Amino acid sequence: MNVLEIRNATKRFGSLVALRNVALSVPAGELRAIIGPNGAGKTTLFNLVSGFFAPSAGSVLFAGRDVTALAAHQRVALGMARTFQITEIFPELTVFENVRIAAEVAAGYRLRPRLGRSERAEVCRRVEQTLELAGLAAKAKRLAGELAHGDQRVAEIAMALALKPRLLLLDEPTAGMGEQETQEITRLIRRLRAAGELTIVLIEHDMRVVFHLADRITVLCYGELLAEGTPQEIAANEAVQEAYLGKAA
Amino acid sequence: MNSRAGAARQAGTALLWAALLLAPYWLPWVGGYTALGARVLVLGLAAMSLNFLLGFTGVVSFGHAAYFGLGAYGAGLTLKLLAHSTPLALFFGTLAGGIAGALLGALIVHLRGVYFAMVTIAFGQVFYYIAFRWNSLTGGDDGLRGFARQPLHFAGYAIDILNNGHAFYYFVLVCFAVTVGVMALILRSPLGRTMLAIRENERRARFLGIPVERHIWVAFTLSCFFTSLAGALYAMVNNFADPMGLHWSLSGDLVIMAVMGGMRSFWGPLVGAAVFVVVQDFLSSITTNWMSFVGLLIVLVVLFFPRGLLGLAQRRGEA
Amino acid sequence: MTQLLLFNAINGLIIGAFYVLMALGLSLILNLSGVINFAHGGFLVLGGYLAYALTPYVGFWGALLIAPLLTAGVGFVVERLMVRRVYGRDPLYGLLLTFGLAFILEDGTRSIWGAQGLPVSIPAVLARPLSSDFFFITGYRLFMVGTVAAAVFLLFALLRYTRVGIRIRAGTLDLDTVSALGINVRGLRSLNFAAGIFLAGLSGVLAGGQLGLEPTMGTGLLMPGFVAIIVGGVGSLPGTLLGGLLIGLASGVTAVFFPSASEAVIYILMAVVLMVRPHGLLGEEGLLT
Repeated sequence: MNVLEIRNATKRFGSLVALRNVALSVPAGELRAIIGPNGAGKTTLFNLVSGFFAPSAGSVLFAGRDVTALAAHQRVALGMARTFQITEIFPELTVFENVRIAAEVAAGYRLRPRLGRSERAEVCRRVEQTLELAGLAAKAKRLAGELAHGDQRVAEIAMALALKPRLLLLDEPTAGMGEQETQEITRLIRRLRAAGELTIVLIEHDMRVVFHLADRITVLCYGELLAEGTPQEIAANEAVQEAYLGKAA
Repeated sequence: MNSRAGAARQAGTALLWAALLLAPYWLPWVGGYTALGARVLVLGLAAMSLNFLLGFTGVVSFGHAAYFGLGAYGAGLTLKLLAHSTPLALFFGTLAGGIAGALLGALIVHLRGVYFAMVTIAFGQVFYYIAFRWNSLTGGDDGLRGFARQPLHFAGYAIDILNNGHAFYYFVLVCFAVTVGVMALILRSPLGRTMLAIRENERRARFLGIPVERHIWVAFTLSCFFTSLAGALYAMVNNFADPMGLHWSLSGDLVIMAVMGGMRSFWGPLVGAAVFVVVQDFLSSITTNWMSFVGLLIVLVVLFFPRGLLGLAQRRGEA
Repeated sequence: MTQLLLFNAINGLIIGAFYVLMALGLSLILNLSGVINFAHGGFLVLGGYLAYALTPYVGFWGALLIAPLLTAGVGFVVERLMVRRVYGRDPLYGLLLTFGLAFILEDGTRSIWGAQGLPVSIPAVLARPLSSDFFFITGYRLFMVGTVAAAVFLLFALLRYTRVGIRIRAGTLDLDTVSALGINVRGLRSLNFAAGIFLAGLSGVLAGGQLGLEPTMGTGLLMPGFVAIIVGGVGSLPGTLLGGLLIGLASGVTAVFFPSASEAVIYILMAVVLMVRPHGLLGEEGLLT
């Protein structure tokens, strides 16, 4: 079954067409990379999927259900989580608290003025597990805003994971990172895939990361779907080469 | 946070409670009086309630006098017209401001920033005009008189909080402690953490699955209930409720108390209220131009101490 | 009855014109600097009293121009020294700062000119009623409306056709881009603040002629200014114009049927507008939110 399906989505901002008639299907368990030159509409696509804004035309289906009219938080409740291109965390709270907020929302406690002892213990266990998986356990007590850039991005991914999503949308997880940090994130994403049924859609500029991780790749260019296929197919695709070389020239 | 800062904070809190518990005994020694203590406590409670929104949800309300004043009029009218019972007066007073806050809150939670602040200012003022104009009920400009707090009855015992100033102070302190305790509990709960999340980063909060508007509404409504309870107590401090308790200048006073004490600290607004009330009392006793000095104080706080007194202390403690 | 209604409707529109002047100044400052100017009422009072002090030397007509200019000068200095330091910070700080300034301005005028109300003499030509049938339309009232209309017209013309005006409008829409184009945003904001305060000062002079002067009169006129902006829509000057006239009319008409609610009615109007159009009548979604 397709976890994510986008049907003929178009997004206009005034006279600018950011996305034109894009269709996309991501089956369960796949890791899909979305690439394309700057301004291709990648982040716009994420914003449509996650409910940041509504498409001008077309629809978004999540696990077979039409979610086009749902608000962002409702999509999260259905099992969709995302990170942002520019890190979005809670800077003056500790890393532990950052992740705990996500875990409590996922457990359905967000309006609770009190938690029972066992409920609290269960949330804490969940947070610790997530931090362990993300490799942040040693920094749990630090303020998130004081972490190094790379760790902040990992913390954001950890928050998304604590939501126990079925679909994880990662917007350029390695943006602004050094060589070593990029490798760590790549390893983390690979661990996530090994751990379970998670479907991941990834926007990424670093082609080594993309070709290393992706099952399939979707290429956007000027708001339109240019190509889709396995990494080998995309590497051999002339239109894609042209789009990238054209940008380089 | 390291353990030394944690210990210092615990010691500070213990010291604060000791000071509050013993206030009727040490206040006269420094030239104060017990009624002043009750006033500080009540205004401090209002400022802390406002800060629930301001400092812990990151939402600016500049119209909280409305809920404070509704609490005061609610309590006063209950005592005057409905029942000679202090607990009932507190209950209905709190309900009046809280419900008004819940209704107005629903109208404005989708607004943000300056826009939100401006609408809270404007709505705050409507109750002032109502109280001002509805002479037959509220006493208009002269304020609502002709009621008095009533003795409390506990299992056969009567506590005379009307004539015994000490008893009344402790009654206010108990109400304060319970309300503040509830606030602290909420702030440490999942609900409280969603408020912090909204303050820290609204976008992140939304995409973690928090319906931001609904949670701001909850925080706003709770804050109004707490503020309104403080207002109900205020009516009993003087056995009087006046339209100035609804005026936007009081809203501003509550905000400056919170900011001066430290918005990011739980106890900051209480400290701010104490300093503000004492300074205002002192200034108005020595100069007719006290308003200028209060204005100047506000300007100086904004320009040079925006983190407030406890914010300053915290910074030093962490360094 | 008809005459009473007409009387109050016209009265309402005149008051509305007044709110417009007040609200436009507030709106200018809010749009470009993101500061809600609580001290606007204080500047209004200052303008009124300055006119009172100047009239013996320069006459009513001279004071009408010079007093607002002087008020604007004070505003310019205040912006340079204090207000600019809260730009870009939490809106709370701008509110508090101007809240403190309002205290100082009100107390200052009271210290200099006294707490008692002062009558303001207006030229005899303006004091006469227009005709016996319309005894309530005095020349002064017409003159007030005329002055407000002229000021509004001039403001919109300046914003549309002068370089500074165009920059102010552009800055309202996208300050970062304006700044990136190498335009001196700091200077622009000072000038814009002074322009807003000029309007406050002018309101003060006009109000003094109609109502007399009192140190506390500014705060009573400040709230309707806020309401006018919210009803019209934050970010839209034409909206502010519309909002001010609407709430003036509403309170004028209400005064006929239910006099004691004439103040409260504008807040009810505001609540209704917020329910139907959350961003005001002419406000755009997303601006300043």
